[in-house]
Amino acid sequence: MKMSPEYKKTQENMAAGIITASGFLGDDKRTLSDIIEDDEELMRHYNLDYDKVAEKLEYFLEKGKKGLGEHVSVDREWLVRTEEARGHLPCPFGDGLQRKITCEIIHEEIGEKLLFSTFSLHLFREHHFHQGKGSPFRIEPSVLKKVLKL
Amino acid sequence: MEYIKYLTAPLIIGLITAVLAAFISVVDRIVNNYGDVKIDINNGKKELVVKGGAPLLHLLSSQKIFLPSACGGRGSCGACKCRVTSDVGPHLPTEIPYLDRDEIEQNIRLSCQVKVKKDIAIEIPEALFNVKEFNARVEKIADVTHDIKEVLMDIGDEDITFEAGMYVQLVIPSYGKIRGTTQRAYSMSSRPSDKHHIELLVRLVPGGIATTYVHEHLKEGDSIRVIGPFGEFRRTDTSAAMICVAGGSGMAPFKSILYDMYEKGDTERDVWYFFGARTEKDMFYLDELFDLDSRWEKFHFVPALSEPQGEAGWKGETGIITDVLDIYLKRKVGPDVEKEGYLCGSPGMIDACNKVMTQNGIPLEKIYYDKFA
Repeated sequence: MKMSPEYKKTQENMAAGIITASGFLGDDKRTLSDIIEDDEELMRHYNLDYDKVAEKLEYFLEKGKKGLGEHVSVDREWLVRTEEARGHLPCPFGDGLQRKITCEIIHEEIGEKLLFSTFSLHLFREHHFHQGKGSPFRIEPSVLKKVLKL
Repeated sequence: MEYIKYLTAPLIIGLITAVLAAFISVVDRIVNNYGDVKIDINNGKKELVVKGGAPLLHLLSSQKIFLPSACGGRGSCGACKCRVTSDVGPHLPTEIPYLDRDEIEQNIRLSCQVKVKKDIAIEIPEALFNVKEFNARVEKIADVTHDIKEVLMDIGDEDITFEAGMYVQLVIPSYGKIRGTTQRAYSMSSRPSDKHHIELLVRLVPGGIATTYVHEHLKEGDSIRVIGPFGEFRRTDTSAAMICVAGGSGMAPFKSILYDMYEKGDTERDVWYFFGARTEKDMFYLDELFDLDSRWEKFHFVPALSEPQGEAGWKGETGIITDVLDIYLKRKVGPDVEKEGYLCGSPGMIDACNKVMTQNGIPLEKIYYDKFA
């Protein structure tokens, strides 16, 4: 898919060392528009809806806050840890600042885990950007399906 | 000769481009050459002469004046604040989210966002003159839980002077896909009396740049840069009972404070230390803290498990640490005792403890913490 000048600029902002030290693209060599398009296709393949997944992730994030930085059991199936770091990060798409709260969800029975942050949740919900392959905060559709049991 | 016809146009364009690039480079050197500029610190207390054009934070650190910074100057942590008393233009949109109205009125600025193009006057806390950069050698790394490492560093002939409760910034070098250096703040768990060592407790944060480096790359014998000491978190010299609350690596400043007090014989005030973890595998230093409890009459160690897994012989409390704190404040410490709160943990933990403490009569201004998480 052809990249608009805005997307080109956004992809530059996503490189390691610009907004965050590790960046948002991981090892992915695809263009930003290809990453988004491929992930939208994967979401359809797994029958996942962006808003519904985002709501579910927010649910876990809020439940995790009750652990005050420690893991907490949620609904007897998941172990969740929500942690807040100092400061804010600017969105590489240019729409505001996001707080740095990370959330780790572990499905205890299958032993799979999913890591996301309020920032990656914003990128996921508002821009359908899951982050590149190899990025620590990539929201992988197949992992969503398994860990969240959707 | 036919090919010359095809080469003429690209050659001319290339030549024009080269001339333009050279012109821009020359103009850039003239326009963006700010020459030497003066930085006046604290009304003449210190004066630096530096080459202008770079962010204030970087110019100061090049002269060994270190302001706290958790993001290394990317404008994402809001830690590198200082007051600018000369004119450097209005606040930038990148600074506003980190400043409250009072700070904006006092012209507090994020030093990483202020480019120094002319002479500038600033005010910083005097304590920052004591901040040094150390080239430390990692002496020992020990696992204290499955996700917390105790890192002991030797700073050689250098010495560090600090008050128990303060923190340092670890300078993480470029590694793997991580470009450039990254700085993160960690409370010191070492005692101020040991001036040649710095000990930290580092908990692995999934996806965290600094903690991943410490847990997966840093080895005993390695060198690492450390900047400090920073912070205002320390015990007061009142006789009020200290109500301390921590979880995970939040243990660090309390380990330093408690042993410093015991070492100095500052044992006349009551100290209650509430430490929360989920299960016993997340607990650590239990034996030595119970031992301290038995040797120090006014020290009371209260560990609590929020989700005990049926561990046999558990000697502490069970429940979320804020619930345990609430019960103790009401029933054991007592409402009539003058109290001060001391907290180390995530902003969420601090907010929750603030609530419980204020509901139990501890004024907000007597609850102390460094909210850097």
